[in-house]
Amino acid sequence: MKKSDKPINSSRRKFLKGMSSGIVGAYAITPNLKIENLPKEISDSIEGKIKLTIKVNGDKISKSVKPNTTLAEFIREDLKLTGTKIVCNHGECGSCTVLMNGEAVYSCHMLALDADGSEIITVEGLLKDDELHPVQQSFIDKDGLQCGFCTPGQIMSAYALLKNNSKPTDEEIKNGMSGNLCRCGAYPKIFDSVKDAVSKKI
Amino acid sequence: MSIKKSKHFFEEDFVEKIGEVSDENYKQLPPNKDLKYIGKKIPRYDGYAKVSGKAVYTFDINLPNMVYGKILRSEIPHGKIKSIDISKAKSTDGVLDILTFENTPDYNWYGNSSKLFDQVVRYEGDEIACICAETQKDAEEAAKKIIISYEKLPFEVDAEKSFKSENLKIHESGNISREKPDEYSRGNVDDGFEQSEIIVEDTYSTQIAIHNPTEVHCSVANWEGEKLKIWDSTQGIFEVRNSIAKSLGINEENVQVIKEYMGGGFGSKLEAGKYTLMAAILSKKLKRPVKIVLDRKEMNLAVGNRPDSKQTLKLGLKKDGTILALNHYSIANVGAYPSGGGCSWPARTMYQIPNVKTVDYSIFTNTGRSRAFRAPGHVQGTFALDAIMDDAAEKIGMDPLEFRIKNYAEKDQVWGGNYSSKMLKEAYKIGAEKIGWGKRNKIPGSEKSYLKTGIGLASQIWWGGGGPPAHANMKIAKDGLVHVYSGTQDLGTGTYTFISQIAAEILEIPLNKIKVHLGDTDFPFGPSSGGSTTAPSISPAVRDAAEKMKKKLFSAASALTNISEDKLIYSEGSFSSENIKIINIDEIANQVESDSLFTKGSREENIEGIVVQTFGAQFAKVEVDTLTGNVKVIKIVAAHDIGRTLNRQTLENQFHGGIMQGLGFALTEERIMDSDYGKMLNPNMHDYKIPTMLDAPTEIEVIIVNDMDELANNMGVKGIGEPAMIPTAAAIANAVYNAIGVRIKSLPITPDKIINALYKN
Amino acid sequence: MNNFEYMQPESIEIASKFLKKNSSSYLYAGGTDILGMIKEDIISPKQLVNLKKINSLNYIKFDEKEGLKIGALTKLSEIEKSEIIKKSFNVLHQAVKEVATLQLRNVGTIGGNICQRPRCFYFRGDFDCIRKGGDTCFAVTGNSKYHCIIGGGPCYIVHPSDTAVALLALDAKFKISSEKSEKIISAREFFVLPDVDDQKENILKDGEILTEIIIPNSSNNISKFIKVKERGAWDFALVSIAGVFEIENKIIKSGKITFGGVAPIPWVEEKVNTGLTNFKIDENNIEKLSSLAFTKAEAMDKNSYKIPLAKNLIKKLLSEIVY
Repeated sequence: MKKSDKPINSSRRKFLKGMSSGIVGAYAITPNLKIENLPKEISDSIEGKIKLTIKVNGDKISKSVKPNTTLAEFIREDLKLTGTKIVCNHGECGSCTVLMNGEAVYSCHMLALDADGSEIITVEGLLKDDELHPVQQSFIDKDGLQCGFCTPGQIMSAYALLKNNSKPTDEEIKNGMSGNLCRCGAYPKIFDSVKDAVSKKI
Repeated sequence: MSIKKSKHFFEEDFVEKIGEVSDENYKQLPPNKDLKYIGKKIPRYDGYAKVSGKAVYTFDINLPNMVYGKILRSEIPHGKIKSIDISKAKSTDGVLDILTFENTPDYNWYGNSSKLFDQVVRYEGDEIACICAETQKDAEEAAKKIIISYEKLPFEVDAEKSFKSENLKIHESGNISREKPDEYSRGNVDDGFEQSEIIVEDTYSTQIAIHNPTEVHCSVANWEGEKLKIWDSTQGIFEVRNSIAKSLGINEENVQVIKEYMGGGFGSKLEAGKYTLMAAILSKKLKRPVKIVLDRKEMNLAVGNRPDSKQTLKLGLKKDGTILALNHYSIANVGAYPSGGGCSWPARTMYQIPNVKTVDYSIFTNTGRSRAFRAPGHVQGTFALDAIMDDAAEKIGMDPLEFRIKNYAEKDQVWGGNYSSKMLKEAYKIGAEKIGWGKRNKIPGSEKSYLKTGIGLASQIWWGGGGPPAHANMKIAKDGLVHVYSGTQDLGTGTYTFISQIAAEILEIPLNKIKVHLGDTDFPFGPSSGGSTTAPSISPAVRDAAEKMKKKLFSAASALTNISEDKLIYSEGSFSSENIKIINIDEIANQVESDSLFTKGSREENIEGIVVQTFGAQFAKVEVDTLTGNVKVIKIVAAHDIGRTLNRQTLENQFHGGIMQGLGFALTEERIMDSDYGKMLNPNMHDYKIPTMLDAPTEIEVIIVNDMDELANNMGVKGIGEPAMIPTAAAIANAVYNAIGVRIKSLPITPDKIINALYKN
Repeated sequence: MNNFEYMQPESIEIASKFLKKNSSSYLYAGGTDILGMIKEDIISPKQLVNLKKINSLNYIKFDEKEGLKIGALTKLSEIEKSEIIKKSFNVLHQAVKEVATLQLRNVGTIGGNICQRPRCFYFRGDFDCIRKGGDTCFAVTGNSKYHCIIGGGPCYIVHPSDTAVALLALDAKFKISSEKSEKIISAREFFVLPDVDDQKENILKDGEILTEIIIPNSSNNISKFIKVKERGAWDFALVSIAGVFEIENKIIKSGKITFGGVAPIPWVEEKVNTGLTNFKIDENNIEKLSSLAFTKAEAMDKNSYKIPLAKNLIKKLLSEIVY
């Protein structure tokens, strides 16, 4: 059922029109897009790349990106910060979790441009020189990991949780961490690690 | 050291290997309580690398000048490619090369049942082309421009229908994988059933589950002259090396495979992938490093799964609870290419039964091929076996635990040998105590409230003894640091950590003096990491290397100090004579010539006639909301005989992991296929439901019942990866039955099944 | 993911005008739903029109007389944190907490949640289904486990939004803006069944944008939201239920119950709500009331469990609000 296999028939066009609803989509009848009709805001996007100004782990960065670059791709490929992992690439697992303006977000499931003007912290940003942040140390002390691939995301979620709630209850920890899958199933020890970090009163 | 023939079990198959083994006969180490590092809660060796984000996985490898391959896969379940039009794709920006069956030699795959690029596609996900481009995005975009025209062929996604089908032939030989069922029998089941006073018979089914490790399957290949270097996310670097060398017709020595860190495998990374060979071919052609990374959809479609099962069990017993006969018949969907889906090993080995017959059919369908998945066969088989054990016990009014003890196997049931150790009775006893076995519902489902609790149990048997060949080399560098090299893997299981513990324990030096190097085929051979064999195969080799190093240190100390060896006493890294410290490891290392302090360690052979098995029992307590159909696992008690604990912390963690995967198998995970179109409906991590932290049991208690298994190997160690998972789903299912009084005979136990069972209309 | 142009208009008027004028332009708020559809090639927008610069649509305002007003671009996590919503519109607070995960709620907006597209795996997968302009609903002969039991045909999706179910129970109204006009309609009028339009879940026309949610003051009410799902988090409802009640001495003076996961729109069972006037909460009455529900439901091969499940939720909801 390759798309090109299917005839682009009337129903296909109807489908596109159907997408117009709501905040998700909008549709116009004009068949051909004319540049001169565009409002000014997008004119610089026509060239293909748009300038992005962003602060990552304290460093101010200005770079042009293609609009379809995700934040995770920008972090890993443009900035070479490979601590942030891409696992599902769909906002369905949490391994790519970073902080944007102090809140945990899935960097694989947002555009780099969505982060324009914001402040991003990745797992590398928790280190001071090479010294671990207390949350990272808790994950070692309580063994909150196995293969380690989801771990940077788990740590960023834990860090965000504690940043916004210094005394979370057990239920709040579980809810706060439930957006991060661990296929190795290290949840009990991830939970212990977060509890340990809580006790440090960071 | 000598070369010997030795055999052991690896993922349900006997492997017989001829290789070097250690001839040393070491005394078993004392119990862990008398040891300094072994068995303790030692933090993970690779913890810093992983929590800091600095660990470089294959997925993170980025070489100068590297290009990217993207695999185009079949979107239909069965067909013959009439034509592939790659012209548009080829002229796309950044595209360097496109491999298809039309321009690539026939590399055999899956035995001889497929080619690297086959003109016939046999499932949604079969490889059709590989597009290589300057960037991943370029390759992906070009892949969309390839136009394929198929001659569509009939297809089937269901094993039973494929088995019976007359107009569908997935392979020349028919639709039975390996052409015939796997059959086993002992005694005479017909006589056994005739003598039985009670017969219980039922059919149970389990779903297809997908490994979904977090790190996707990926490879980077780069030729340096005649030498091919591969970084691969694999559980078996030597397997990949040998397989790729064979495909390319080159010497194994010319292929180096590296895997330093890996994001999970669970059995799906035990064999070389087509993508690895594609990367090697492209890299050779383009003279540039090539990286191929699968995406999550491909992970769900094309790199393995746990085959489903439909199992019919018939159990014959006397009224006093003595089992006389067991018949086990199963049919499994192994997908489009040869693989094993048998699940009768628990039926053959778990309980004492004189008359047993098993028949396992593995059937081809037009779906993704199965692979070993954490305790292949045993997870499915234990669910059915321990369900019918409970049903039989209920029928004769016997406590299910008592019934299991009544039919306890003191000797191995298949070969008749003695076990190296079996402390399952102790596991039953302590597990029952910890779960509060006495509080289970005497009459299942009798609790009044709409929230009903239940308690259930299941037993576990699995090999996990490991064996030779497995090697580890040790070297003390000029700076006094002790380096251990082994071509084995750490999958997140703690291999790095326990190796450092053993080296530190034997040499009596601090952990931070030990450096462990794994995952490189230029290191001495280590077996693939599967079958719960890494620790029991490698840890004795590490001990061997360390003990030999200690010996060497004596001679070095003697040579450097002119004091005879018998007058030297070694303690905590230093030699003394007549209570005066004379020289320590650092000084020795500094003073002897380079490469003097080098030893080779090997695994000894297994003892002939002794059967090494792991055992355990898991107890589950659940709460079922009979209004919503939701099952909450309140507590799991896991009590096991797995030999010596190497690291209490990583052991607990791996048990938790096995239990979590067992819980997912019991309650949430399932591949969903559309049978009319032969397509997977949930090839992602949202609709394929891996449990979250909120689904984890409120409490898990892990109890290891013995200090060591003295006859298993010089470390007394057995594997735990698979034992941890085997009984979980069965125990949960039995607990659900105890709670609601209705048996859900198919996994996963999702709310719809409970609601349908409780509210018939 | 295919490429597109990216624009950030500074006003609703410009956005609306542009959307109306340009083919395959898509409105983009949090983006959590639309990015998934672009990645899966379900849609290929030429332009994404990001509204994030329009700060005027990010607010939660409360006024005794006018009730609660939420800007459509307010993030779900902001709603979750809102004290007034937690206190006086608790059913919405509970429903928001059930949406996806914290990370997605930190990005996703209330407007986007209401307008998200269905999760049907045929719609999301590689099937040319009715909702995508094809002529088959593949669930009918295929896998219908997650599909509707009422209101379906020719397409059998369920509406995926948790917040919409709560908002319907709260008698919310939606403000719809376009280039030149604004209108306010009830939440109930907003959603449409497939027999009215099988390719859209709501009445929004080209260039129309949902901009505000208005909830009448109902701070004296008792409310509850229950969502049955297959795993602890990150799952859409098999069936969900929202209830808002005015209760005195175990008697419901008036109340409203709504359902999710049963129909292509957030669903109201009229007979149940009629029965809730001066309803004495006891086991018998609850049993009677739940037996009135979903008598017209028609299950397919794999979703018949939803009928007893939905009835059970009436019982669970009513028995749990008094304890």
